Amino acid sequence: MTTRHHALTTGLKAALLTTVMTVAGSAAWAQDGKTITTVVKISGIPWFDRMETGVDLYAEEHPEMTISQVGPATADSAQQLQIVQDLIARGTDALAVVPMDPGVLEGLLKRAIDRGTIVVTHEADNQVNTMANIEAFDNAEYGTALNERLAECMGQEGKWTTFVGSLGSRTHMQWVGAGEENAAKYPGMELVDPNNESFDDANGTYETAKEILRKHPDIKGFQTSAGNDVLGVGRAIEEAGLTGKVCLVGTGLPNPSAAYLDSGAITAIGFWDPQKAGMAMNEVARILLEGGELTDGMDLGVEGYESVSVTQGAGDGKLVVGNGMVIVDKDTYAERLF
Amino acid sequence: MTVVQHMNDPLSDSSGKTAPGRRAPRLFSFLQAHPEAVSLLLLVLICASVAAINPAFLQPSSLIDMGRASVVTGLFALGVFTVLASGGIDVSFPAVGAVAMYGISTLVLNVFPDMPMALIILLCVGVGVLLGAVNGVLVHELRAPALIVTIGTLYVFRGVLLVFVGTVWLMELPPQMVAFGQWSLIDITTSSGVTVSLPVYFLSLPLAGVLTWFVLNRTLMGRAIFAVGGKADVADRLGYNLRAVHVFAFAFAGGLAGMAGAIQASANRMANPFDFAGTEIIVIAAVILGGARITGGTGSVLGTVIGVLLVTVVNNVLVLVGIPSTWQRVVVGAFILLAAAFFVLRDRKTNI
Repeated sequence: MTTRHHALTTGLKAALLTTVMTVAGSAAWAQDGKTITTVVKISGIPWFDRMETGVDLYAEEHPEMTISQVGPATADSAQQLQIVQDLIARGTDALAVVPMDPGVLEGLLKRAIDRGTIVVTHEADNQVNTMANIEAFDNAEYGTALNERLAECMGQEGKWTTFVGSLGSRTHMQWVGAGEENAAKYPGMELVDPNNESFDDANGTYETAKEILRKHPDIKGFQTSAGNDVLGVGRAIEEAGLTGKVCLVGTGLPNPSAAYLDSGAITAIGFWDPQKAGMAMNEVARILLEGGELTDGMDLGVEGYESVSVTQGAGDGKLVVGNGMVIVDKDTYAERLF
Repeated sequence: MTVVQHMNDPLSDSSGKTAPGRRAPRLFSFLQAHPEAVSLLLLVLICASVAAINPAFLQPSSLIDMGRASVVTGLFALGVFTVLASGGIDVSFPAVGAVAMYGISTLVLNVFPDMPMALIILLCVGVGVLLGAVNGVLVHELRAPALIVTIGTLYVFRGVLLVFVGTVWLMELPPQMVAFGQWSLIDITTSSGVTVSLPVYFLSLPLAGVLTWFVLNRTLMGRAIFAVGGKADVADRLGYNLRAVHVFAFAFAGGLAGMAGAIQASANRMANPFDFAGTEIIVIAAVILGGARITGGTGSVLGTVIGVLLVTVVNNVLVLVGIPSTWQRVVVGAFILLAAAFFVLRDRKTNI
């Protein structure tokens, strides 16, 4: 039994190693022209597959450079670290990283910058060792926009509640906080039992949503934050036969939410398009490679990033914030299906 | 642990051992012999206070919601109870459920889209039994604590699933699974126009309960499980096959976890390979609250089901009662501590 167990572990290790080597190896190395490599959190999930379409699009627009995307097979910060280390050792000119855990990469990214590699990050506004971190939107503006869409659906009145992934999730709390502020404009809107924790679990969210529907049979709206929340609340609304009577606006992805958007159980979903974020990251990397400057209000030539705000980041680098939020409903989600 | 409460037959318990001179020795010894009565009492108390605070709780729809919410936890708990009774512990069931759910969903989608629902459930249970048996063999052959072994397999099963099967959520499940998840037993429309339905898959919980009760109380294997759980070395000398007992208990738990996986996917209309992570704590808490000892050899199916209802109710009335979300974890934790205090007291009494 021990040997069999041993064989299994060895097999696993070998499999992991192969994955790491394949992804690193697939970043085909060109002899001339600069290389920009995008490193994502996990490869093979819809979000980062969508980002890859943006990276590919950018590569087509810039045939003079070698542009590609890689990422670990599982959500593991150690594997991501390994890949970044490999890329630096091979002498890639620019790295566009979506860190799994910014803290884990700090040391390595510092060394990369020291030896002249261009480092750009995304979704890591607390990353110290980066030359530019790109955020798709301002969190407060996003929360306000979601709530405004909800208020519109509710006719600016009635009871509503909020869900967050967890109370410790900074961005989620910023979104619902901005939502609350926005709703304060409308005296008819009454926030009840706010900040329910969903732990991004559709089933748990479903049970909590049912409970809220029982406690407040007259509830009119839900504003949710984690990606799975709209699915759980949407199912609760649909099963209760309240489609069209209760509004639901939250963060979600078009493909998973499609069925509920079609049925009307989800009013609208908000997100940022990883395709555009991937393109924006590569554009910033290209500008930095050519020795350009990032200036406030500049146009990156990517939808949602036509006039970015540039401020001082967590470290020496810049914080680049776009206006890349997307809010789609039943009629418009098909344009951005991923 | 001088008195080992073999079986869940309360009459065989030596209630005479309770120290005399207590005010209500009879009541205490009754509760001692029927730990599930305490859980039931707590359940009734909670329901009564919730109803007093918020009369919205007193609706048939509440009952249905609780029933539906307890299915997956209940199936897991019956499995964990069986393993606990045999003197082991299983924390790998979330991974077993996820592998069965996601693995079989992937298979159905990619290879055999028209597979009948009955076969899907059967395959999920089969995968669960297989992985459970792996647990049982490892626990027996390595002679390692079941906790360590199943923590290991928890990681290995989940890891293998993510590496070799996939990490992508399956949003478009085969129609027969979606139909099964929506197949309704009872439909109630409340005055406010809300429809509440009790799905057919709810029946799996009472069925699994009866099956577990039958296996544990009416078969030789059940006797062997309690005997091994009470005192493994004695049971060994008496000629019980420890290997068979270990493998059976873990495989049984695995099968129930597989079943829970099939139901979770059908009910949620999606298969998420990261699902169930973190459920082990609440499930084990439910089993212990149902009166089973973590050291094995005791407990009853009825108690386990009551324990499951208890944690389900506590977890599903916090919003109704109006406890702010920051306080909810404090309340759940305090409640478990409170209930645990009684069982500790019981065990001390038994040890006199």
